[in-house]
Amino acid sequence: MTFDWPTALPLIFAGLMGLAILIYVILDGFDLGIGILFAAADDAEQDTMIAAIGPFWDANETWLVLAVGLLLVAFPMAHGTILTALYIPVFLLLLGLILRGVAFDFRAKVPAGKKQRWNRIFFLGSATASLAQGYMLGVYVLGLDVGFGGMAFGALVALCLSAAYAAMGSAWLIYKTEGGLQRKAVRWLRTTLVLTALGMVAVSLATPFASPRIFDKWFLWPEILYLSPLPILSALLFLWLWRQTFHLPRPDDRHALRPFLTLAAIFALGFAGLAWSFYPYVVPDRLTIWQAASAPESLAFILVGTVVVLPIIIFYSFYAYRVFGGKATDLTYD
Amino acid sequence: MDPLILSRIQFGANISFHILFPAITIALGWVLLFFKLRYNATGDSAWMRAYFTWVKVFALSFAMGVVSGVTMSFQFGTNWPGYMETVGNIAGPLLAYEVLTAFFLEAAFLGIMLFGFRRVSNRIHTLATVLVAGGTTVSAFWIIALNSWMQTPAGFEMRDGKAHALDWWAVIFNPSMPYRLMHMLLASGLTVSFLVAGLSALRYLVGDRSESMWKALRTGVFTAAILIPIQIFAGDQHGLNTLEHQPQKIAAMEANWNTGPNVPLVLFALPDEAAKENKFELAIPDGASVVLRHSVSGVVPGLNDYPGNHPPVFPVFWGFRIMVGTGILMLIVSWSAAFFLKRRHSLPKLLALIMVPMTISGWVATLAGWYTTEIGRQPWLVTGVLKTADAVGPVAGSHVALTLAVYLILYVLLLIAYLSVLVHLALKAAKDGDASPLPGAMNAALSQQAAGE
Repeated sequence: MTFDWPTALPLIFAGLMGLAILIYVILDGFDLGIGILFAAADDAEQDTMIAAIGPFWDANETWLVLAVGLLLVAFPMAHGTILTALYIPVFLLLLGLILRGVAFDFRAKVPAGKKQRWNRIFFLGSATASLAQGYMLGVYVLGLDVGFGGMAFGALVALCLSAAYAAMGSAWLIYKTEGGLQRKAVRWLRTTLVLTALGMVAVSLATPFASPRIFDKWFLWPEILYLSPLPILSALLFLWLWRQTFHLPRPDDRHALRPFLTLAAIFALGFAGLAWSFYPYVVPDRLTIWQAASAPESLAFILVGTVVVLPIIIFYSFYAYRVFGGKATDLTYD
Repeated sequence: MDPLILSRIQFGANISFHILFPAITIALGWVLLFFKLRYNATGDSAWMRAYFTWVKVFALSFAMGVVSGVTMSFQFGTNWPGYMETVGNIAGPLLAYEVLTAFFLEAAFLGIMLFGFRRVSNRIHTLATVLVAGGTTVSAFWIIALNSWMQTPAGFEMRDGKAHALDWWAVIFNPSMPYRLMHMLLASGLTVSFLVAGLSALRYLVGDRSESMWKALRTGVFTAAILIPIQIFAGDQHGLNTLEHQPQKIAAMEANWNTGPNVPLVLFALPDEAAKENKFELAIPDGASVVLRHSVSGVVPGLNDYPGNHPPVFPVFWGFRIMVGTGILMLIVSWSAAFFLKRRHSLPKLLALIMVPMTISGWVATLAGWYTTEIGRQPWLVTGVLKTADAVGPVAGSHVALTLAVYLILYVLLLIAYLSVLVHLALKAAKDGDASPLPGAMNAALSQQAAGE
């Protein structure tokens, strides 16, 4: 088989876009989750929580810009179809992201009396953005054209994805904080983990039944064999993480990053499952990645830049995380 | 309700709100670098105090720019799917390069620039400031390249109703791109100069005579005084470029109806498109011919050559006049302030009072200029390739009306909050004066800020 660029390029870009979405969901997931958990924290804890994400959130949100940018750039047809179908939820997502993003800065710079207002806006923005993302995921899984039942399902996924983000936020706090807040984060993680598992089961059950094509991909022999490691591994990771929560924090705070990494792995597995189900469609059962793709010369032009720049981005992102490694309290109060 | 006009207002509102903040961050990054380098060279802590005051403004403006920019990248799809479907092959890569080469760079090093002073060496902290400032400028480069391509498309061919790139160099460095980029970068420089000068004048008025106030004030005033004549020259060159490539836009800017020589320069008029004439016209004879062709007999294009194919005259004509008028005001104010600061080492109260509202003069001129050039592109979205009306998406008008209303309310509230925080930060800096924690004990200043963010 010869290597055929017009066939390969859309595939490469679908992979890149998937990667960008996954990184976004994991990284901004913990930012948004901490925003949701804001409602359950007191004033001093809120400052520490912000310090745990303050230096990172901008770069984390940039992965969303990259993801939607790649959708727009590589699959312009799909970009229009998906975003016009999701007009109102996208609007709510943007509203949430605007409020969340500006509240970060305003709460630190307004006169002391107004800080509480911006804390509430920070929570509201984070919650709105998370719910909107979950709703969009739910509706996308069902094929975008949905009736009342589909909207109800979207609402369920919205709640579960928000809980999953809150779980990510808790896990990040376990890594970045100590003392009372860290112990609180462990309790938060345990509660939100249940809802996260429920959400993953709900999406997993709904996906095959929304489309006969996906049903065949899941339950026909031998496809079922290829897919089976995903749910089994996810379930094992869930159970392992659940057990860990009863022993956290460990003496000397060992393995404090482990809950976060475990959750990230679960997200990656769930995401791989979705990718497997929907491939080769970018708009479920309507538009494949090849039908929606840009011209090969445009994709090639972007690919050159991406291959050069993406490793550099990943390198300096790691560097930025390293500069602000360690407990967040240390960033705040010395 | 008509989704086309609503979508246009929505995108216009969004991009108008958005441009306010890049107009600040592009140049403020370099001003911060200047403060930092002066501190590195002199060891004078007042420079670092100025840095810490203005880095907060930078952080806030950056956040406002990011969130409003994300909104726009989604609106391409939610409201203008026809745009990407037709010219996605061109617009896509330019936007992708902006994200890859600019957005990540800015965002990753912003954290270090804001909170990393104690965590990295002074050299790395300076480097982070360079990278953030460079990132904002690179970002401007790509988005201006795309916008200029929409004004003066080049380096492509149409196949099956879609634009395909033939020569990327010609796409990026299209005919109007260098002029527009210069004009915008200078506009950002002026916006920041007047912002810094204006808020420092406010501090001066409330009695602050601290070294950091003087340093910021001088930086703002002298930068403005240097940049404004350069900007007037660059703007003139940009206008001549527009005359060559988009004559119908020039015709609208000058409200000139008939092509011909000896065209007057209209100072004031109410253009009437239905009657194809100007009401209450006040004009300098032969002025437009002289300005645009450098000769009284120079031929200036007229709107009647482009029936049904020229932009709406009223907003383009007035947008241009507001921009130029603000520019002249900037020249007078910055040169008088520079004179007093240089010769008298003082600032008259009256001049300081004028400088306070001039804080946002850069915003006014930038918006007026962008309205001129963008409305001047109509009815085309991409000149000669795609009409705005053909790009709008199949979204119900009521949905667009709803989102537009919420956006407008949100933007107004955020703008009020932003401006009051600027004033609050300036007054706080005035109150602290030189008594704020010294850069020698910079931990205190930093951790205070880090605690907030």
